[in-house]
Amino acid sequence: MSEKVLFAITAIFNTPDEIIKAAEKTAENGYKKFDVNTPYPIHGMPNAMKLGRSKLGFAALVFGLSGILAALLMTFWMSAIDYPIIIGGKPYFAFPKYVPIIFEVTVLAASIGTVVTMLFFFFKFPNNSHPLHDSDYMKKVSTEKYGIYIQADDVLFNAEEIKKFLNELGAAEVGEIYWDDDEVSTSPKILEPKFLGFLAVTAIIISGTTYFGLNKLMFMVPFNWMMEQDKALPQETSNIFADGFAMRMPVEGTISRGTIPYPYYGKPELAEKLMINPLDYSEENLALGKKKYDVFCSPCHGYFGEGDSKLRGQYPNPPSIHSEKVRLWSDGRIYHVIAEGQNVMPSYSTQMTREEKWATILYIRALQRALNAKESDL
Amino acid sequence: MSSETKIEYSKKELPTSFGKAGYTLFAVGLVLVIISFLVDPVRSSFNNLIMLMFLSSIGVGSLFLVAIEYLAGAVWSVPFRRIPEFLGAIIFILPVIAIPVYFNMHDMFHWTHTEDVLSDEILSGKVGYLNIPFFTIRVVAIFLVWMLFYFLLTKRSRLQDQTGDQKLTTSNIKISAIFMPFFAITITIASVDWIMSLEPHWFSTIFGIYYFSGTVLAAIAVVTFLVVYLTEKGLFIKGIKTDHYYSLGALMFGFVNFWAYIAFSQFLLIYYANIPEETYWYLNRWEGGWIVVSILLIVVHFVVPYFGLVSQPSKTNPKRLKFMAIWILVAHIVDLYWLIMPTYSPESIPFSWMELGFPLLTFGIMVIVFGIKAKKENLVPIGDPKLKRGLDFRL
Amino acid sequence: MQTVDYSQELAVIEKGPSLREIDEIISKPLETKPDKKYYLALSITVTMLMIGVVGLGLSFYYGTGLWGNNNPVGWGFPIVNFVFWVGIGHAGTLISAILFLFRQKWRTGIARFAEGMTIFAVMTAGIFPLIHVGRPWLAGYLFPYPNQHSLWVNFSSPLLWDVFAVSTYFTVSLIFWYVGLIPDFATLRDRTANKIKKITYSIFSLGWRHSNRHWQHYEMVYLILAGFATPLVLSVHTIVSFDFAISIIPGWHTTIFPPYFVAGAVFSGFTMVQNVLIFIRKIFNFEHIITLDTLEKMNKIILLTGSMVGYAYAMEFFIAWYSGVQPEQFAFINRAFGPYAWAYWIMVTCNVVFPQLFWIKKIRRTIPVMFAIAVLVNVGMWFERFVITVTSLSRDFLPSSWAYYTPTLTDFAILIGSFGLFFTLMLLFTKTLPVVSIAEVKAVLEDSQPSHKDH
Repeated sequence: MSEKVLFAITAIFNTPDEIIKAAEKTAENGYKKFDVNTPYPIHGMPNAMKLGRSKLGFAALVFGLSGILAALLMTFWMSAIDYPIIIGGKPYFAFPKYVPIIFEVTVLAASIGTVVTMLFFFFKFPNNSHPLHDSDYMKKVSTEKYGIYIQADDVLFNAEEIKKFLNELGAAEVGEIYWDDDEVSTSPKILEPKFLGFLAVTAIIISGTTYFGLNKLMFMVPFNWMMEQDKALPQETSNIFADGFAMRMPVEGTISRGTIPYPYYGKPELAEKLMINPLDYSEENLALGKKKYDVFCSPCHGYFGEGDSKLRGQYPNPPSIHSEKVRLWSDGRIYHVIAEGQNVMPSYSTQMTREEKWATILYIRALQRALNAKESDL
Repeated sequence: MSSETKIEYSKKELPTSFGKAGYTLFAVGLVLVIISFLVDPVRSSFNNLIMLMFLSSIGVGSLFLVAIEYLAGAVWSVPFRRIPEFLGAIIFILPVIAIPVYFNMHDMFHWTHTEDVLSDEILSGKVGYLNIPFFTIRVVAIFLVWMLFYFLLTKRSRLQDQTGDQKLTTSNIKISAIFMPFFAITITIASVDWIMSLEPHWFSTIFGIYYFSGTVLAAIAVVTFLVVYLTEKGLFIKGIKTDHYYSLGALMFGFVNFWAYIAFSQFLLIYYANIPEETYWYLNRWEGGWIVVSILLIVVHFVVPYFGLVSQPSKTNPKRLKFMAIWILVAHIVDLYWLIMPTYSPESIPFSWMELGFPLLTFGIMVIVFGIKAKKENLVPIGDPKLKRGLDFRL
Repeated sequence: MQTVDYSQELAVIEKGPSLREIDEIISKPLETKPDKKYYLALSITVTMLMIGVVGLGLSFYYGTGLWGNNNPVGWGFPIVNFVFWVGIGHAGTLISAILFLFRQKWRTGIARFAEGMTIFAVMTAGIFPLIHVGRPWLAGYLFPYPNQHSLWVNFSSPLLWDVFAVSTYFTVSLIFWYVGLIPDFATLRDRTANKIKKITYSIFSLGWRHSNRHWQHYEMVYLILAGFATPLVLSVHTIVSFDFAISIIPGWHTTIFPPYFVAGAVFSGFTMVQNVLIFIRKIFNFEHIITLDTLEKMNKIILLTGSMVGYAYAMEFFIAWYSGVQPEQFAFINRAFGPYAWAYWIMVTCNVVFPQLFWIKKIRRTIPVMFAIAVLVNVGMWFERFVITVTSLSRDFLPSSWAYYTPTLTDFAILIGSFGLFFTLMLLFTKTLPVVSIAEVKAVLEDSQPSHKDH
């Protein structure tokens, strides 16, 4: 026993009144490193021990305010800046609607923050091993007795004097607590192989299950049923129909709503003569035209209509639309090409509405004008 | 617990400055009120309604505090139970204050215009409830119920000062229990009749609770102020500790939050659902300059008291409590102003000396009623068996 | 009638047991082997749970088409059960946080237990929104996390508020519960001789050694958590009520919903606590810790909240008439006299009429009667949610789409399973953790606090 290091002198008391008095006297005598252990909190003990007020209220305040700020920024940025959608006719950032979220986040942040602060700063977690553990003293104070101990590293420590002092206070018993051997060494244990192994196993398990869950499980029955339904998708083959296509043509003699059938199939001259572009050169129409041109025309004709296909020769390049011939065509003639197709170009009558076709023509005109500008345009 | 707390109380007169302040407020207020009635009777009636609602808040709210103390078996509030009991006496003044409102009803309540009501489909559906005879019956009934319970609750408490009979506490607990449903019904009817029906098309199921939250908050604020004031002047029983202050402060803080919760719930539901028959009420309080009062209400009634009372030290600091109590009373006036006045003037905010006279009179009445009661009776229920425990109270 | 001496404080714990006896009484269920009755009860609850598991499994495999939900009643049993269970969960935090703030000492005997109920009830409740989304394994989408779709959740949706509210509520309740358990774990650690138990308790007690330097912070944290939990508990059922009240469906959109739902939640939660407590105190001999006085006080709160719920029912009816809005008026007439009148009147009798019996002191103190009333109230509160959810949806604005909602067997299986899960967890709890807070009970014993003679 003698080689063990003394940690503290302990004393056990039988009543709450005695322990309060003992704590007061101990504090008055100038001991700093002492503590009182009681099975439940004793009213007035912090005063008797001359402890200041607990500062945890500030932790709660700081975490709470951070929570408010974080939630405000989150709702504001997500719903007003990054992904703005009008919902219920309210502004993008309608504060009253976000109050519930802000409140919940605040409470969550403050509660977790305060408890974590308590554990790490005041309870010194995870360094919470203590020589008192497993001692007889501990067993008594955790059930029915009231204990006080004065640590050996207190400036005023003097074992004999303290024992006398505690006995005078009416202690039921006075004892000593020693450090365990392995507790005395305080070298860091983080690099121990056991701990590293634990970390590695944890990492493998977590990443493994995550990988399995997201990349394998979600593609198994029944999780994939929403993905793999008994239905034909566009462009798929189908053995139900004789032609092997899943996509069907409209039933003969029917048109979809709002469609006006193109009347001049095979009659380019009539189209050239009779059709007039109903749209004006407005910003809106040109924007629509550009959009449709970029989607449907640019893959072959190129973004500027020079016939510079993006397909790099996998498909025959079309001629430039800036040729004299095309420039002199009327809008109706171009419409005819779009509607009926020409040479290898297929018909776009089902992909684009009338209005979209005319808007695209406006845009083609603008492209042509851009390469063959007149002086008056300057 | 064998504590040696002694009940040290000897009846002392309130300082003359207290009575003087009351009579000054009353006199100045009364003069202003009479002049404003001569100048603009309609506007004054609306102001008068605010005064009526405010004094109802204090009167019946105090009665509620007394009853809830009995019901909850609370001990900490026993030493100052007399204060709400005294304030409850305001109930007897309410009928007098209601008279000017009653005579100007036609200018205040749109549903009294028979020809308009008949041509309005929705209003004509409400005739069964909103008609002058039934309205009058309800008002009288409400006043009678309040007076009856004031009488029943305080009589035994006074008697106990002499006898110290414990049975009186038992019977008061029973009376308090019976009072509760009456309180809920009367205060709902009062808020619906006297405030909500000012704009007879509008409706909100939470409205009674909204008024209730303000009522109790105001009552707690007055009690807090008087406890701190009397203790500071040394007129009160010895032994009021920080624990008592803390409880008062916490209760005030709690009800500040409760009010905000109810107010926000009502607003959010109406704002979000956006149905025209409901939203116009808030729109009235958002346009014509009223937005200023609306924002002010949030700040005055919630933000300032919240941060003023949130920390533990501020709940135990008597000076802070006194200040916040007065602040909350003013906030309650602002609340009632915001509820009532837009009906009178949707276009602009009416604020001049006329609006000042009524609060002065209101506070004057409160001080005088309290002064008269305090002169006649003990400030502390010295016969109450729970008094000693109340003084021993620790958190 | 017995007379009460108001000048003396009523003892919270009867018979004045010593501190060591408290330890022994409370930790006895943990240190003894469960008896036959326990296994019988457990087998019943596990059977119920299994019924639910089958129902859930079928729903997962075949989809939500197995339920009765259909147009126009898109919110059937799952939402009813969700609101019901979240409501049950409210009593625990109310008892532990609000009554703590009010310094009601009688709460100590029942607080731990009620907190446990909160956690299990919220867990049970959490199942329902999860299965109601159809593909619960993708529930992660409910949280705002940066994703490859560059999408964010809809913060304007009250259903998303629910996600935040319920998960926050669960987390904070768990923390609150655990913080309360730390000193008890330490006491158990120092009691037990079993090695495995000792290690487990040591880990969970976080090195607690009843130090008063720690108690000081601990009490502060407890106060702060109670301060946060109180508005939180209000907010949770408020937000649940927003799920309904934010809309414009008649019978759902009414401003009283937030406080009304909270009162209803507390009401149903207290009755559930009451039901289970009556068993617990009998089986584990806790009669002196969970006293008849405590039960009587609970009954008073049940009476109070029941009356509040009754007030809300009346107010809804009155304002529906007063509003002059036709669909609103119809919704309420339909509730009381329409095809679901049976459900409505079950709700009114169970929730408003029966609790009024608690005005009579004798009934408040008779255990079988209060048990029966508490069961009835639970039934009534379940029907309240049923009435709210189903009546308004089944007959909305468009008469051509009116329909009668009929739940399926799967719906009932899941409902039974939810009770099975809840009670199974409760039973396991009683045998693994101290169901009464040892430290708190000790602190309210007579003569356990200094007498302040020299102050």
